[in-house]
Amino acid sequence: MARQLTLLAGLLARRAALLVVLLAVVFAAVEFLPGDAARSTVDRGSSAEAVAQRQAELGLDRPVAVRFAHWMTGVPTGDLGRSARGEPVADIIGAHLPNTLLLGGLAFALTVCASLALGCAAALRPGGLRDRTISTTATVALALPEFVVASVLVLVLALWADLLPAVTTTDDDGWPASPTMLVLPVLALAVAQVGWNTRILRAALADEYAAPHVDAAICDGLSPWRVLTRHVLPGALPSFAAGAATSVGMLLGGTVVIETIFNYPGIGTVIAGAVHDRDTPVIAGATAVTGAAIAGVLLLSDLVRAWATGRRA
Amino acid sequence: MNLTRRHLLGVGAAAGATVLLSACDNGKDTAAPGPATSPRKGGTLRIGALGKASAITRDPHGVQNNESDYLIISLVYDALTVPGATSNVAPRLATKWESSADLKRWTFTIPDNATFHDGSPVTAEDVAWSLVRLRNTPSGKSRLPGVAPDNIKAEGRNKVVLTSDYPNSELPLLARLTTFTVKKDTAEIAGAPGTGPFKLVSYSGGNAKLVRNDTWHGGQVLLDAIEVTMFDSPQAMANALLTNQIDVASNVGAVAARVAEGKPDVQIVRRLNDMAMPFLMRTSDGPYADVRVREAFKLACDREAMVKQALSGYGTVANDVLGTADPAYAKDLPQRRRDLAKAKQLLADAGFDLGGTYQLFTSEDIPGLAESATLFATQLKDLGVKMEVVKQDSTTFWDASWQKAPLCTTYWGTNDSVVFFAGKTMNSEAAMNETAWKEPAFDEAYRKVVSTVDESARKDTLRELQKIEHDKSGYLLWGMADGVDLAAKKVRELPKLGGYGRVQLEKTWLAN
Repeated sequence: MARQLTLLAGLLARRAALLVVLLAVVFAAVEFLPGDAARSTVDRGSSAEAVAQRQAELGLDRPVAVRFAHWMTGVPTGDLGRSARGEPVADIIGAHLPNTLLLGGLAFALTVCASLALGCAAALRPGGLRDRTISTTATVALALPEFVVASVLVLVLALWADLLPAVTTTDDDGWPASPTMLVLPVLALAVAQVGWNTRILRAALADEYAAPHVDAAICDGLSPWRVLTRHVLPGALPSFAAGAATSVGMLLGGTVVIETIFNYPGIGTVIAGAVHDRDTPVIAGATAVTGAAIAGVLLLSDLVRAWATGRRA
Repeated sequence: MNLTRRHLLGVGAAAGATVLLSACDNGKDTAAPGPATSPRKGGTLRIGALGKASAITRDPHGVQNNESDYLIISLVYDALTVPGATSNVAPRLATKWESSADLKRWTFTIPDNATFHDGSPVTAEDVAWSLVRLRNTPSGKSRLPGVAPDNIKAEGRNKVVLTSDYPNSELPLLARLTTFTVKKDTAEIAGAPGTGPFKLVSYSGGNAKLVRNDTWHGGQVLLDAIEVTMFDSPQAMANALLTNQIDVASNVGAVAARVAEGKPDVQIVRRLNDMAMPFLMRTSDGPYADVRVREAFKLACDREAMVKQALSGYGTVANDVLGTADPAYAKDLPQRRRDLAKAKQLLADAGFDLGGTYQLFTSEDIPGLAESATLFATQLKDLGVKMEVVKQDSTTFWDASWQKAPLCTTYWGTNDSVVFFAGKTMNSEAAMNETAWKEPAFDEAYRKVVSTVDESARKDTLRELQKIEHDKSGYLLWGMADGVDLAAKKVRELPKLGGYGRVQLEKTWLAN
């Protein structure tokens, strides 16, 4: 147990170090882009003197390494600095990240449930009509870009059928004003990922069905359902967990597009805008929290795989 | 009055511009507002405006890149003056203004009944403090040009005196945009009480709820409340309007209007002279330093085609003079038209090298801008000029190409003053001399205009100034884009002015 904890601590430390490197890269990358946050936040054509005054206000007159070091020292205390427009970065993230996590979380839950159901349904009768329908549809779905899915959903379900709201508006606390507003963005995000994970699960299940112990179980006369849940699915879980974990990154990445199309008040649009303005503290802060979230999920996926593999051994 | 480019998107105040329903002029089938009834008090207007979550600012004296922020701020706070319908400066917090004979010392009067939303009266001290605060921001110098912070003084209870370093007949006009008043010594600026027609009730992430200020000094306000929703994209905003999630999609653009054409429940509101998007030809050096080359390019432009294709028809042809909505705009200057023969002759006379490939730099900041560049490059082929369009990311463009490249695009949202552009972008001392133009005759005309009190003499000089600009400047202004709003049928009396006037919602009302 102690050894496992040490391993886990080592893993965590490596992931944290990776995050720090990533943040350093963010600072350096913004530095290499033309223009800076001072210019983005003064009036167009402001004199060199005004820009310099703004640069001093924002601390941009210091070397990038110094700014990075200074910003990093605040991170452990939760101080992510201030945006180029003077708002605390932690507040900006606090106002937008929960919405993105809600959207991404629901899309992820839908992805896992739907691909489990579809993958199993397809694998129960390999080669049957149901299998072929599901597998083909899944392949098409995983190839669909989010903005295409989103645009079609809006057109059909909101503009033509008037069944669901086309965009998200917020209540006084900044949350979506109605749960129905989540339906279309979640669907738009999840469709491609459901396709992807269904394919993975279907393939993993097929491999498992070919294993000798499954043949034995079938010969023993166990019901197909029992064979699937007791003898096939557990073996396919590690592959499925790995596939689902990569979906987390894809889902969070997809929110940039989805949030714009549905006017969803999440962190994706904040990051896009901050890159536009060269607003390093905002970009780095958002990268840090989303990076930590993704690292956390990957860790969880590793643990699931370790558990499933260990269980079989 | 000098704002950022994004801010200026909305700032094309067009004096005398009218709300045109597209049904009126193009035969496009669009809903007219229902039968005229008398204005009715009550109702909540849900309005959408463009803005980015990363760029939100609540500081009335900050750089407001988001139209949504500027809208909210303009509803809560009053500027000293605003664009007007009959003249380009109308009273707001200042009810009147007068100048000394030398046009240097300007006195603005604050009405006695003006109060903040917490009930306390507005004093000259509050106004002066706010103006000094504005002046001390990095952009303050260009917003109140020629007025040093020490030269802003409260005088008595309700007079504020601004002393300019030089004669400036345009100071009241320059006071139009961000001279918002907050209480003296306000420490927490976000949400500080204002003096405007609406009071802030709640605010979250760029969205706001506001209610009517029943004691507004400017008169009766009709709407009970306004809900402002920020939209990241015009597309999402248009969808929200079409599904009745909002009542007005502010400055949503021509593309959305095309989608909405023919829908019986939607009004398309066109605000003329909203946005200028000229090409800039650098006059000091490079291929366009010769005035004949500049004229050749102006003659090569097929303006009707530009308006039709780059603006989807939502615009009007222009004549290379900026400030098209100014009551004093020289409509009598001959309209420049495409004349390839003359243009080719001019290029030959100037010895323009047709062997080389030239570059036209542009950003994609606003709809139609990059399209206009591409279209013009195609039109230049007819002249034998090989032009390559270089599209750049916004920040790169403004940092590396604007005011540096020989040929690039720009855009301006304040279009109701010829003098504004002359002073800001064309006289040789202008901080934003976009085309590096040094024309002594123009400078002389400009100086004369801003220091002349006599109306008739001023008008003559202004005509002369526009003639020089038309003939020689580095601006190729081919057309003016309309501001386009979409609105539900029940919305009445939306602001009729272009751009900046769009945020004045105190007269708007909702029919049953």
